Amino acid sequence: MIAGCPHETSVPISARAGGGAPWRRILRGALALGLAGPLAAAADTAPPSGGTFAIRASKALLCELDGRQAIDGALVLIDEGRIAAVEAEHDLELPEGTPVLDAGASWVMPGMIDLHSHVGGPRGYNDAVFQVNSGLRVSSTAIAGNARLRRPLAAGITTILYIPGSATNVGGQGVLLKTRPGSFEEILVRDPGSLKIAQGDNPKRWGYRMNRALMNHHIRTALRQGSAYAERWEAYEQGEAERPERRLHLDVYRDLRSEEIAISTHTQYFQVVLATLRILRMEFGFPTFIDHGSFDSWLLGGVAERIGVPAILGPREVMWPTNPGRFPVDGRAEGCAWGFQQQGVSLIGFNTDAPVLPQEELPLQSAMGVRYGFDNSRMGAVRGLTIVPATVCGVGDDLGSLEAGKVADLVVLTGDPSDPRTSVQWVWVEGELVYEQAAGERPW
Amino acid sequence: MIPLLLATLLSISGSEPGAEAPGEPGGRGLAIKAAKALTVPLDGPQFVDNAVVLVRDGRIEAIGPTSEVAVPVGYDVLDVGDRWLAPGMVELHCHIAGTFDINDMVYLTNPGVRASTAVRPEDPKLMQGLAGGVTTVLFIPGSGTNIGGQGVLLKTGLDDYESMEVRNPGSMKLAQAGNPERWLIRPGRSFMNWNTRNTFQRGVAYAKRWKAAEENGGEAPRKNLQFEVIRSLYNREAQISTHTQIYQVANMTLTMVAKELGLPVFIDHGTFDAYRVAPRAKELGVSAILGPRAIDVPSPLMMMWAGTNPERIQGVAAGYQEGGLEMIGFNTDSPVIPQEELSLQASMGVRYGFRWDNLESIRGLTIVPAKTAGIDHLVGSLEPGKHADIIVVGGDPADPRNGVDMVFIEGERVYDAENGRRRW
Repeated sequence: MIAGCPHETSVPISARAGGGAPWRRILRGALALGLAGPLAAAADTAPPSGGTFAIRASKALLCELDGRQAIDGALVLIDEGRIAAVEAEHDLELPEGTPVLDAGASWVMPGMIDLHSHVGGPRGYNDAVFQVNSGLRVSSTAIAGNARLRRPLAAGITTILYIPGSATNVGGQGVLLKTRPGSFEEILVRDPGSLKIAQGDNPKRWGYRMNRALMNHHIRTALRQGSAYAERWEAYEQGEAERPERRLHLDVYRDLRSEEIAISTHTQYFQVVLATLRILRMEFGFPTFIDHGSFDSWLLGGVAERIGVPAILGPREVMWPTNPGRFPVDGRAEGCAWGFQQQGVSLIGFNTDAPVLPQEELPLQSAMGVRYGFDNSRMGAVRGLTIVPATVCGVGDDLGSLEAGKVADLVVLTGDPSDPRTSVQWVWVEGELVYEQAAGERPW
Repeated sequence: MIPLLLATLLSISGSEPGAEAPGEPGGRGLAIKAAKALTVPLDGPQFVDNAVVLVRDGRIEAIGPTSEVAVPVGYDVLDVGDRWLAPGMVELHCHIAGTFDINDMVYLTNPGVRASTAVRPEDPKLMQGLAGGVTTVLFIPGSGTNIGGQGVLLKTGLDDYESMEVRNPGSMKLAQAGNPERWLIRPGRSFMNWNTRNTFQRGVAYAKRWKAAEENGGEAPRKNLQFEVIRSLYNREAQISTHTQIYQVANMTLTMVAKELGLPVFIDHGTFDAYRVAPRAKELGVSAILGPRAIDVPSPLMMMWAGTNPERIQGVAAGYQEGGLEMIGFNTDSPVIPQEELSLQASMGVRYGFRWDNLESIRGLTIVPAKTAGIDHLVGSLEPGKHADIIVVGGDPADPRNGVDMVFIEGERVYDAENGRRRW
């Protein structure tokens, strides 16, 4: 729950964890889970879902922000939608009668998170009547479990930040959603999930064609108004001023000011990212992340790290040396993830900009990062799909890693998720089984 | 020779400036040693551990384990350590080897039009593909019309058209659904297939007249530039690369083009539920070169169009494989998917259920497309006598995390990531 967030539709994650959803019964039918000891992973045995159960896997990718990263021969204990324990098999004694899914040689990992998605609903997320639209909520266009979320779910992507398009400078408010089927309330993680700002390219096509100087002036004006509004509310809450008049289109800036949400910024070239860092973060002090960060923008990685701006990269994060008039190229291809890493950025994640790249190809973006030089020796390719995006959008306490107490969004898959030949076998969201490869006719 | 790589080559050879580098035509021999070589011949064992490849005059002279193949005196040795070797990849659906004016649409059938007129050696996008391990491409016209014209088979990474050309015509491009339906008066599939059959029948009659004249003597028919390419098809010197997708359309490719007209043809795209033609394709000896993004998804709209089971997510490559077809390859339709991501298409095939017990993922990038395009005597596998088109990779090329480190084309080291100009 966002403290001080005026939106009444926000539902705290804790209030929803473990809740029985009607679609679950449709998906799996009645589950016979009164078994003690391991369940075979055979097709005729229903895998566990809901309540208390455990998963045994040859490897668990934990992805803790600062702690353990992986355990071989792991057991994950799930209880009422949360992770109760993750340990090596010989270090964890399960409660008597706990159903265990033995995943054999497969691995288990946290559900993946994409912070740049436009497939949470069919359309209508790119209103361009005004150039600044801080009050628009993309949540009003979301359709839970829509057809375009089925494949990502089957690929282990359990949470998306569904955001407005980049047709205007301030496109509106994104919403954090689970990809599983259900009602809107059931899949809602947080609304607003972010404020979407776009600084280069697409918004230049608005109306009578903007240039960057005017666009950044508009952005600064909007942020100044929002900042002042949030300050007036802050003063009121501290008993230092009258209650301000409510301005719906500025409420989102209160969430930014209290650092409950961040600005997800469509920003891509050196020059544009510089404006992101200087205006959004240095001038106004809002939590901000780079979203795209392509071409030569990695050259600003050192500055970004110093002022606490993470980088969520994609789609196709490589700069080819084919446009020397536009970028300072020296004949080399530069992997953007490699570049940000070279510059010392600690939080590097990946996005798809779905449907620009299919939502289900999120793990592939990290694989391509590795292909183009990103050092994966400390599991950066997996962290960039899990704990990094979770931390960047402020849900790191609940999502993004396998740790006791966190929400049980889990994926069992045949190997390393950053190898795209790996396929996903089972997905659980909040402890509920939402995808099973072997069920029905889905030879994925 | 790419000038900026000259220094690299000299540093290996130690020769005087201007001398040919080892492995190149006219140069000394070159022995490349590697932990593993994926040889992928059409039949037989598919790889060699602790391998050495002997390259001389641009061709592979010998390949085998170091315990069996001795390096002759005077050969330079390049030991790439733990890295793997594989044949240069063959891409049969490429639109990026030059300027983009490859989609002339004055007529609905354009058999005389040649993509070779648009080729631009060292096109930057082609060089990116090269850095991804693609050494041979079939550069083809677009699908704006039913018969878009003639594709050309090219080597990438070489610096003039004459050395790039492998075969012209490389193929004749046929498109049976989707894009050509947008042509001028908006023809439907019935009209398009009638028009296509009509063109082919006239072309085949022309080819038969030429064949008769050649075999029996007599007056040669009048040359008709439009139909010359159909002579090449009739004589089985080129193939029809067919933009065909959806069961209904791929079925027309097989029944109308392969069976009724008897012309060499391959399925190019083959997406959605087209995998259901696999048994028929096998029977008729037709390959399927799949992509881009070969997955049939349960989208209700698409299902109305394609008619498959809305509950099923189906890997297309897996579908052809389950249907018994062995000749399954991959394409990018670059720039639809970037050329350098060709190997990724095979990885995604594996993700969606394509079995690769016998290195089918690599074969689909090399020997299968080479055989399909009728150039398997030149490229597509690491075998003695073939072109020394060799890539050096960090590991399995079907794992895209492994970048390509070096590329040789006909013995010439045309790309080397370690020498300052890395393109990964």
